[in-house]
Amino acid sequence: MATPLDSADTVGSPRAGAPTQTAVDPASPGAPTGPGGGGDGDRPAADRPTDDLPAARPRAAWAGRTAVLWTGTAVAVLVTAWCVTAGTSNAGFLDVWRSIRLAVLGGTLPADFAQTYSIITNLRLPRVLLAFAAGAALSLAGVVMQGLLRNPLVSPFTLGVSPAAAFGAALAILLTGGSAGSGSWLVIGSALGAALAVSAVVLGLASAKAMSAATLLLLGIALTQLFEAMTAALQFVADENTLQAIVRWTFGSVNDANWNDVMVVGACAVLALPLLLWFARDLNAIAFAGDDAAKSLGVNVTTVRVGLIIVSVVLAAVVVSFCGVIGFVGLVGPHIARLAIGADHRYLLPFSFLTGGLLLVVADTIGRTILAPSVIPVGIVVAFIGAPIFINLILTRRAAQ
Amino acid sequence: MSLDMASVRFAYRRNTVLQGVDLSVAEGGFCALLGPNGSGKSTLTKIIARVLKPADGTVAFAGQDLLAAPRRDHARVVAYVPQSGAAPFEQTVREAVLLGRTPHIGLRPTRHDREVVDDAVDRLGLTGLRDRPLSQLSGGQAQRVLIARALAQQPRVLLLDEPTSALDLRYQIETLQIVRSVTREEGVTALIAIHDLNHAAHFCDQIVLLDGGRIVADGPPAEAYDPAVLSRVYGLDVLVNHGENGVEVRPSALEPAPGVIGAPAAAGARTAVAAR
Repeated sequence: MATPLDSADTVGSPRAGAPTQTAVDPASPGAPTGPGGGGDGDRPAADRPTDDLPAARPRAAWAGRTAVLWTGTAVAVLVTAWCVTAGTSNAGFLDVWRSIRLAVLGGTLPADFAQTYSIITNLRLPRVLLAFAAGAALSLAGVVMQGLLRNPLVSPFTLGVSPAAAFGAALAILLTGGSAGSGSWLVIGSALGAALAVSAVVLGLASAKAMSAATLLLLGIALTQLFEAMTAALQFVADENTLQAIVRWTFGSVNDANWNDVMVVGACAVLALPLLLWFARDLNAIAFAGDDAAKSLGVNVTTVRVGLIIVSVVLAAVVVSFCGVIGFVGLVGPHIARLAIGADHRYLLPFSFLTGGLLLVVADTIGRTILAPSVIPVGIVVAFIGAPIFINLILTRRAAQ
Repeated sequence: MSLDMASVRFAYRRNTVLQGVDLSVAEGGFCALLGPNGSGKSTLTKIIARVLKPADGTVAFAGQDLLAAPRRDHARVVAYVPQSGAAPFEQTVREAVLLGRTPHIGLRPTRHDREVVDDAVDRLGLTGLRDRPLSQLSGGQAQRVLIARALAQQPRVLLLDEPTSALDLRYQIETLQIVRSVTREEGVTALIAIHDLNHAAHFCDQIVLLDGGRIVADGPPAEAYDPAVLSRVYGLDVLVNHGENGVEVRPSALEPAPGVIGAPAAAGARTAVAAR
């Protein structure tokens, strides 16, 4: 397949905006002797231009990305801490630090600090940390799905995870007559079960077609439609209260965050990162080179694809079960990260962990402060923030090429 | 030491593509796989590259069974250059070539890996382009990146699947020159699926002509090109000229009409490109 830039193939054509190009086209000199020469000395790259930036470059590029990663980590910690301070009751950075120290190391709690301490450790911290963990998990899952399916438009919900989870939750809410709230283990379990079951079905069906990316995408679309119809059917037969509970569940939110949720979602996200990094090399080969070339580069494409899809589906399913449907992070988080640090998965994975987490923490902070004391569910806010960012990314990137 | 294939069979469902291919390429040899579309050239290279799994048969290099080895070990011996296609994500030339180190590296590339990558980039004349995104390269440059990636793999066997099909004449010749220099200088065994009979005759040591999944000719260019066989395989009458610069194939239809004086098919007239 030729690239769209084929027209630039003319010999030595300098491109607008790329003045270095003129010095670059090195292959021209040796060639004109042509096939008649026939000897062994016909190596076209023999006299290549002296490059102005020798050996220092690879180290510089490498150090650059590491620096971006560490800066991102520092920014993430600071912004997250700032988001804990934001809210109706006054609390500063120092209060946050003091609360964490008291909670971790113990010590006597002064009476005048008790209320702030309670707000921070029981409400703000779990909420902010759950938002970060959920965003990080969705973003990681998004990177993996986009890479494995070689499609930048894919999100962790592409295989039908979120409609299936919504159906599972709706079913549990309906069967308990609306008495089981979105935080109950029954609803969480039902949503998780449905999400994992549908993913198993998608993978099972796709294995008949050698796990090709196109097959997975199409099956995901089919099952998304199916489960949306099934949820709609449940909503149709539900009474007012139950219907309200079902609809509220589908607005993804971290409103009822507690430390249990933080532990489960956080553990999934934190454990998934090193596991996925271990396969970053294989992920690179599949994402950039394609299935055939990845196989010839020594990657067990089918095994890696199935294994990593299972990891990312579990991540997405856990988040959806605990927080409801939070769209967009899994799509946009990876793109923001890719723009900042490049598409090499060794760096992209940890960085999109940060961007996804930050995006959701900021969205949630805006959601609970902008119309305080009302709280807008984070699933709604993130779409409001994410869509303009994403559109901007698409437009500026096209211009850059 | 050589690359040996014995009774390799392959079928897509009921569609038999290869029906028992036996082939041997000497180490350091440059072998061209020729044949009309659908004759099984690409399939054969993909089987050696372990992209496709044959129904039957063996592939071995230097006595080592290539089909039974773990994929990673196989990828350290055999490198494959596919027809270039667009990647969905942006990548610089150097990052793309670094993919060739995949079977060699652990968690992250070492200094040695980066040196090998830079050598491969230099060798393909991509030095000045090495930090450029792939989407800004021309078709010829993108094809050279894929070859650099294969060289970074430091293979003993290099497979190329119609690497010249999308290239203009200059890049076709350059690509073939590069591959031949790799076979000459490093003793790498190269196998190339290609359409151009005259390029194959000029650059390759061995010509293998496939037709309907069977080998119908195998040998040095001068011996392998038989006008009768070529005419039958391609369904087009061709002439084979044995000139001082080697053999040359021309479709008979392009010969000057009898009676036109002063326009004989002189040796060295290199205009004809045989049946595509």
